[in-house]
Amino acid sequence: MEDVSQPSPGISKVVSRMHGSTIGQKALMAVSGVLLIAFSFGHMAGHLQMFVGPEPYNAYAHFLQSLGGIKWAIRFGLVALTILHIFSAFQLTMRNRAARPIAYASNKWLAASIGAKTMRASGGIVLFFILYHILHFTVLLVGTAGFPPEDTYKLANGLMVDDVYRRMVISFQNPALALGYVFGVGLLALHLSHGIQSALQTLGALNSTYRPLVKRVGPALAGLLFAGFASVPLAVLTGCIK
Amino acid sequence: MNLTLKIWRQKDKATPGKFETYEAKDISPDMSFLEMLDVVSERAQAQGQEPCAFDHDCREGICGMCSLVINGVPHGPEAATTTCQLHMRKFKDGDNIVIEPWRASAFPVLRDLVVDRTAFDRIQQKGGFVSVNTGGTPDGNAIPVSKLEADLAMDAASCIGCGACVAACKNASAMLFVAAKVSQYAHLPQGQAERSRRVLAMMEQHDVEGFGSCTNFGECEAVCPKEISVRVIAEMNRDYLRATLVGTDP
Repeated sequence: MEDVSQPSPGISKVVSRMHGSTIGQKALMAVSGVLLIAFSFGHMAGHLQMFVGPEPYNAYAHFLQSLGGIKWAIRFGLVALTILHIFSAFQLTMRNRAARPIAYASNKWLAASIGAKTMRASGGIVLFFILYHILHFTVLLVGTAGFPPEDTYKLANGLMVDDVYRRMVISFQNPALALGYVFGVGLLALHLSHGIQSALQTLGALNSTYRPLVKRVGPALAGLLFAGFASVPLAVLTGCIK
Repeated sequence: MNLTLKIWRQKDKATPGKFETYEAKDISPDMSFLEMLDVVSERAQAQGQEPCAFDHDCREGICGMCSLVINGVPHGPEAATTTCQLHMRKFKDGDNIVIEPWRASAFPVLRDLVVDRTAFDRIQQKGGFVSVNTGGTPDGNAIPVSKLEADLAMDAASCIGCGACVAACKNASAMLFVAAKVSQYAHLPQGQAERSRRVLAMMEQHDVEGFGSCTNFGECEAVCPKEISVRVIAEMNRDYLRATLVGTDP
């Protein structure tokens, strides 16, 4: 056996193995995916404050905006993770296509879930959904019809802040936007129903004891994320949040 | 029973192949799938046609030589069964059966349904062994191995290297094969000395051969005639990442 690992791999070897091998690329995809999922849960939990009322929600939004440098660090981090996630997916897809140049005339799936089979499509649409979402609520460039020109809110302590709560309500009173968002987070959940368990398997976290459990935890967490995200536009649309 | 077969015919590696249709009449349901192909080939030969080439050897499900993707499933519709152990009673009279070779750039078609699987041999040669200096045979139970670990090693070692995992994988990845060969040593004391080197060297060769990456669909596990679990892939991923990031054998 060739001595490829003694005595220590060296940083350049670590980098080349991580980005130049199939397992390494999968691991980069898994780690970036897991970090993006962690952000999604935080994001979802923040939005659930819509159910409490304009005061806590706008105060929370103002707090996030006031983070300054930290806010930008997180934004750049998220963009970098997304690029890493997509780039490794792209590289692996190219490799995988080359590995099977002639397709089967007859092909039957025995085990793959619907989430697994639609990863590329769901991931691609979710990317466009996220871009729209940023242009909508962060950049205020699209979907802003009906936003009041005077959109400030006076907090209990007298501070005048952006009325993000009002913008959410106005947006989701439009059925097309509300249902569009539900569709977007639905596809995200579909992506994660396979993605979570796939990431754990790729990182070697599944042994025979935990595998049956984790196979259910993936879809369960994806469902939880969907319920949390979809509840806000649906609550506005049905008039539960005004 | 009477069947209609759509079989992939290809003269050699360089010539593009195509499907040809054969009528298989008066087939006994007690024949194995390969016996059915024998009969069809014999009849074709009697009519002056070139018989169809396919791989086979032991015909008792242990050698890993037979292959064939039958109606879209490697080794056919019966779970945990090689093609040679698949019997025609699993089909219905009048069935249409599509028979294709394993499809992977790392497994080039040599002729008809025969593919070149020497890529597996090259992966094995990179580390699918333990280096032991020759000498007296050690005592049977001198190195204690727990029953659980022995069973896990044995489950992985039951891989016959047929390549159905590659054939079933949408990415033509050989991860289940490589992982089985890595896992069988990872569970035994004798495998520890070269544990990191083994996984790195074998996976490097896997990638060089042009196999795809694992997307965790689980199709390989579903078609494996030896029912090897994708547990071994998780174990190998863990070993590979540990070997990459930490990188030294004990």
